[in-house]
Amino acid sequence: MNKTDKMLVGERTFCVLLLAFSLVILYLAYQIAGFSSINSPGAFPLGVALVMIISAAKICVDLIGKARPDCNGWLDAMQQFRRQHFPKRTLIFAALAVAYLAAIQWISFYASTFCFLVLSIVYLRGGRIAGALLVAALLLLLIYLLFTLAFSVYLP
Amino acid sequence: MTETLSYLLMAWSDPQLLLLTALGTFAGIYIGAIPGLSVTMAVSILVSFTFSWEVNDALALIVGIFIGGVYGGSRSAILLNIPGAPSSVATAFDGYPLAQQGEAGRAIGLSTVMSVIGGLVGTLVLASAAPVIGDLALRFAPRDYFLVAAIGLLLVGSLAEGSLAKGIFAAALGAIIGLVGMDPVTAQGRFTLGQVELMGGIHYVVLMIGLFGVAEAFYQLHNLDTPPVRQKVDKIIPSLAMVLKFLPLSVRTSLIGVVVGVLPGVGGDIAALMAYDHAKRTVKNPTKPFGKGAYEGLVAPETANSAAVGGAYVPMLTLGMPGDAVTAVIIGALVIHGLNPGPMLMVENPHIFWFTVGNLALANIFLLVFGLMGIKLFAKFVEMPKAVLIPLILVLCVVGTYSINSSMTEVYWMLGFGLLGYLLKIFGFQMGPIILGAILGPLMDTSYRQAMSSVGDNPVELLRELVTSPLSLILTSAVVLILLGNTSLLKKLKCKCKAAMARG
Repeated sequence: MNKTDKMLVGERTFCVLLLAFSLVILYLAYQIAGFSSINSPGAFPLGVALVMIISAAKICVDLIGKARPDCNGWLDAMQQFRRQHFPKRTLIFAALAVAYLAAIQWISFYASTFCFLVLSIVYLRGGRIAGALLVAALLLLLIYLLFTLAFSVYLP
Repeated sequence: MTETLSYLLMAWSDPQLLLLTALGTFAGIYIGAIPGLSVTMAVSILVSFTFSWEVNDALALIVGIFIGGVYGGSRSAILLNIPGAPSSVATAFDGYPLAQQGEAGRAIGLSTVMSVIGGLVGTLVLASAAPVIGDLALRFAPRDYFLVAAIGLLLVGSLAEGSLAKGIFAAALGAIIGLVGMDPVTAQGRFTLGQVELMGGIHYVVLMIGLFGVAEAFYQLHNLDTPPVRQKVDKIIPSLAMVLKFLPLSVRTSLIGVVVGVLPGVGGDIAALMAYDHAKRTVKNPTKPFGKGAYEGLVAPETANSAAVGGAYVPMLTLGMPGDAVTAVIIGALVIHGLNPGPMLMVENPHIFWFTVGNLALANIFLLVFGLMGIKLFAKFVEMPKAVLIPLILVLCVVGTYSINSSMTEVYWMLGFGLLGYLLKIFGFQMGPIILGAILGPLMDTSYRQAMSSVGDNPVELLRELVTSPLSLILTSAVVLILLGNTSLLKKLKCKCKAAMARG
């Protein structure tokens, strides 16, 4: 049980989703070979899926004794969850990361990495573009020296 | 004997290996010390870069990073009260109060020497115990492998912070991820959702980079605005009298560290906490009260977490089972280099074992050198702004993942695992059990099916063997004891016993 004995915002929903996910895993494990044999390719996955269901159910049961978080209704809980765990900074950084991965295939690794580093550093440090440009250029040089010259790694 | 000695001294005599071990140890100290960068993350990323290297070169660098990283975590624990690694959590209890009292230099110096003592004890135990365990492991039946893996998963689940249910769920989730792909016996797809890309399975280094790299980077975004704390650091090298004073304790806690490290799945973090607890219970007159700057509270976890490194190599090299998350990655590195960690490694490739032993000892010597110098540069380096560090971690994760199979799909998978790990972390799930599950799951699957085949698919016969074979009986009892030890019934019984004893 949690030290605070208080549920985190969204914890109950998350745990129920884990239980649902475990049931899906059980279904997928059953799809492998059904209950055809105790030594079939699906036998061990079925066992693991059962362990997942039991442990997910126990996690849900453990929540029963905990105090509910201070929020008024479902919408408020959603907003609190987003504020606490997915604040603007996290969401924007995640968006930058996804855009970076997409850009690697379009504009080459070095160009996209440079853009990603500059944009992220400027955003996370709150301005200072010249500094960000310099740091990004230095890091890119380091990446080139280390991975292309020293390690001979295949870059995206 | 001469051959063994030459393998043992290989890293000491080859300039390139010497340089790589030194480089790894040096880099490891800095990586381990920067909050947000972990030794597991570094080794996961590094393994993917060293695929094309000679195995000895790759291992030399990885061993250096491992040894340096475990120690490096203590630096930020002492200076910033932020453990650089989970194994340094206990170091912060007394290390930071010491720094606040102006004794940061002495604390760092003592922790360096003690880490080296712990590391050398761990290496010595590895050298002496692994061949014996390796011989014993040759007699293991598939059911025994299954049981050892189950013990590992249960231990990591029960000893990790948080609830056992969460630990077991995480391990089972990891096992499912590890089972994705073709069944090794029938080539039937499992959890592939009809996708051809998934038939080859999910490389667990991709999973590791996602969980330890990306998830940690996202998690660190919450601490972006934490201002750096600066400490006065001088008088690093501890006096001989001081080292001798703590030597008996350091040997005891080193042994605790090795024993905990040997247990599959349990690493330096648990070892350090157990050693700290041991010091608290056994040292009657500490230099200062525990929690307020007792040197004993610094010595115990530092020796234990370093000794656990040698211990963690024992199950990895003898059973093919990771002693902790880092050795899990090293198993991957060995497999990629065509080696098969397990009992046959000691028979087929003894040079890898003795090379590792020699290399661990060498890395500890480098640790002593690098640990006691360059503190001014170090202080600047740990203050690297997180706004620069976090994007850099993400770039390294991308490069590391892509270098495994030159696949952008795997890079997207890595990002996905990172976001999943971030969510799980928020709700108190540990990442370690997921990784161990991903490695031990397929191993358990294979062992289970071999065990079943050996008894003609008769579960009753398998159960009979579990209780009639002495080795299987010991392992089965261990599984039952761990499970019972975590039930509420036993906890209630313990409470009642304590209450009865208190009443007298």
